[in-house]
Amino acid sequence: MKRSKVLALSCVFMGLAHLTVLRQRVKGILFALVEIAFIALIPGVIAPKIVQLVTLGSPQPDLPVKLRDNSMFMLIDGITVLAVCLLLAALYYISIKSALLISREIEANGWQKSKGLDLSGTAFPVVALAPTVLLILFFVVVPLVFSACVAFTNYSTPGNIPPANTVDWVGLDNFVHLFGGDATWTGALGRVALWTVTWAFLSTITCYFGGMIMAAILSGSKTKIAPVFRTIFILPYAVPSVVSMLVWKNMLNGAFGVVNRTLMSIGLVSTPIAWLSDPWLAKFTTVMINLWCGFPYFMLLTLGTMTAISSDIFEAARIDGAGSLQIFRRITLPLVIYQTAPLIVMSFTANINNFGAIFFLTGGNPVVADSTVTSAKGTDILVTWIYNLTINLQKYQYASALAVMIFIVLAPFAVFNFRRTKSYKEGEL
Amino acid sequence: MSRAEKLGLKIASGIVIAFLCIVALAVLYPLVYVLSSAFTPGNSISDMPITPFGKGVTLEHFIHLLSDTNYPLWFGNTLVIAIATSLGTLLVASLGAYVFSRFKFTFKKSMMMALLILQIFPSFVGMVAIYVIINRIGLFDSLWGLVLVYLAGNIPYNTWLVKSYLDNIPRSLDEAARIDGAGNVRIWATIIMPIAKPILIFLGITSFTGPWMDFIFPKMVLRSPEQQTLALGLFSFITDKKNDFTNFAAGSLIVAVPFIIFFAVTQKMLVTSLGGAAVKE
Repeated sequence: MKRSKVLALSCVFMGLAHLTVLRQRVKGILFALVEIAFIALIPGVIAPKIVQLVTLGSPQPDLPVKLRDNSMFMLIDGITVLAVCLLLAALYYISIKSALLISREIEANGWQKSKGLDLSGTAFPVVALAPTVLLILFFVVVPLVFSACVAFTNYSTPGNIPPANTVDWVGLDNFVHLFGGDATWTGALGRVALWTVTWAFLSTITCYFGGMIMAAILSGSKTKIAPVFRTIFILPYAVPSVVSMLVWKNMLNGAFGVVNRTLMSIGLVSTPIAWLSDPWLAKFTTVMINLWCGFPYFMLLTLGTMTAISSDIFEAARIDGAGSLQIFRRITLPLVIYQTAPLIVMSFTANINNFGAIFFLTGGNPVVADSTVTSAKGTDILVTWIYNLTINLQKYQYASALAVMIFIVLAPFAVFNFRRTKSYKEGEL
Repeated sequence: MSRAEKLGLKIASGIVIAFLCIVALAVLYPLVYVLSSAFTPGNSISDMPITPFGKGVTLEHFIHLLSDTNYPLWFGNTLVIAIATSLGTLLVASLGAYVFSRFKFTFKKSMMMALLILQIFPSFVGMVAIYVIINRIGLFDSLWGLVLVYLAGNIPYNTWLVKSYLDNIPRSLDEAARIDGAGNVRIWATIIMPIAKPILIFLGITSFTGPWMDFIFPKMVLRSPEQQTLALGLFSFITDKKNDFTNFAAGSLIVAVPFIIFFAVTQKMLVTSLGGAAVKE
C-alpha cells in the first residue's frame, strides 16, 4: 500500500483513507461525519459568526434594544467559533496521523481484524481527555482570548455598552491612552503598577522570612510546648482569608476599631491612628496583616523541608564540633533556601494576583487625587483595579488592557514554572 | 557545663519562650476577638468591649442567623458548589492525568505545555468573558454555572499535580493487569486510582475548600437572594451602609471552626506533604 496514496486520501477528506484503503469503517465514518457537520454549518453559522466577529455589528438606533446587534455576544460567539475551527484543524491533523500510522502497521504486520470502536481500548485516551480539553478550551482559553480582544475595543460606559449600543475595534487606542496619552490615567497606572510590584515583593519576603524564623525557633527550641505553639501558629492558615481580612478591617477601623480604642485606653496614644486611611500607613498595614495571614504557610513549608533533611548531616556536623547556631547557618538555612526558592517565585506571582488581601482589608482605600476618575485608590493593586474598572466604572476596555499587561508581566514566570518541572528536566517535553 | 553556661542557656530559652508568647498573642488576638464578638450582645463595632467577653455572653446572633437570615441557605448553596466542584475536579483531573501519564498521542506535548502556561493566569482575568459565556449558555444566576467555572479553573494545575504523582507509579502494575485482560477503564479505576489515593485526597480537599472563600465569581454570576454563597452573605453584613459585625462574627465562626479543627488535626500530614512537594520539585 502506498503511503502517498493514504496521505492524499486522508488530506482530501477527513476519514476517506480510513473508509477506503484502510478498511476502518467506524473510525472513518466518525471522522467523515465530523467534517460533514462542519461543512454543513459553514454557511448558516460559522461564516456569519466570523463576519460578525470582524464587524462587531452595526448601530441600529431605530430598533428596540432587544433586537439590536449585541457586540459582546458577537465577540464571544466569534471567538468560540474560531476555537471550534481550531479543534477541527487539530482533529484533521490527528486523522491524517492516524491513517499513516495504521498503514504503517498494515505494512509491518499485514491485515488485522478491525476491533471497531472500543471505549476501553483505543478510543479511551480520546474519551478520557475530552472533558479536560473542552472545559479548558471554552472556559479558560476562550475567556483569556476574549479579554485580550476587549483591550482593542471601546467597550465602556457611557457610549458603548451592549445591548443598547455597539462596540467597535479601536486598535491600540486604549494602550496609547494608558501609556502617556492621558496624564491622569498614565499617572494612576504608574502608581498602581509600582505599588503592585512593591507589594508583591514585600509581602513575599516578609512571609517567607517570617515563616522561616518561626520554623527555626520552633524546631530549635527544646521546650516541650513547641507543638502547642505550632498549632497556634497554623491557625491563620486555617481561617478562610476572607474572614480574617474582614475581621482585621474592623479591628483597625480608625474611629471605632478595637485596636485604637485599646491603645487609647492603655494610654499609649492620645489620638486614633489612621491604620487604613493614611495612604502610606495603609500600605504598611496591608503588608503587616498579610504577614499575619501568610507566614504559617512558609512556616509549615520550612518545617517540612527541615524534617526531610537527613539527620546524618547534623550528626556529622555535631561530631565535628559545630554549635547549634553554626549548624543552622551553615547547613539548615542553605538547604532550606535551596529547596524552597522556586516557591518564593511562585508566591511572588500569587501576590501580584492577591485580590483578597487588598479587597477585603482596605477595599483599595484610602481615596487619592485621581480616584474619582480612574477608580484606582491608594492601596489598589492591578487586579483590584481591574475589578473596580469592571464592576464600578464599567470601563471594560481599560480593565482588559490591564489584564493583558498582567499577562505580559506573568509570562516570564510561566516560563520559569515550566522549566523547573520534572518533565522538562527529564526531556519529556 | 559550668553554672554560668547553664544560666545563659536558661536565659536564652526564656527569651525564646517570651518571643513565642508574644507572637502567639498577636496570632490569637483577632481570633479571640471574633470569638468574643460572636457572643457579645449588640450589633455595632463601636460598643464592642476592648476586653474579650467584657459585656457578657449571648447566643442571640446565632439564633438570628439561623432563623431570620438566609444563612442556612447560603451554607447549603456553598456546600453544594464545593462538593460538586471537588467531585468534578477529581474525576476530570484523574482521567486526564492518567491519559497524560500513560499514553502517547498527537499533540500531547503541546497540550501539556498549554496546561502549564494556563495555570499561571488567574481565572478572573477572563472575568468579563466568563460573565458573557455564562449568560450565553443560560446558566446565569445558577450554582451550576459557578461549578463549571471553578472546575475549569482547577483543571490545569491539578492535572499536572496528579500526572506527576502517577508518573512515579510503576508501569509494570498496569501492564500486568493488561496481560490479564483488563481494559483501560478497569486499570484506571481498580489499579491506578487506589494507589493514587493520597494525592486524590489532597486534591479533593483543596478543591473543596476553594469555593468557600471565593467572592468575585459568585458576585458576578449569582443575583437572586436565594442563590447566594457564604462569602457573599457574610460580606453583606458589613458593607459600607451597615456594620453588623457581631452577626458577621457569628456566621464566620460557624464556617471557620470546622476548617480550624481540620487543620489542627492534619497539621502533621500538611508538614510532610508540603515539605515533600518542595523536595520533589
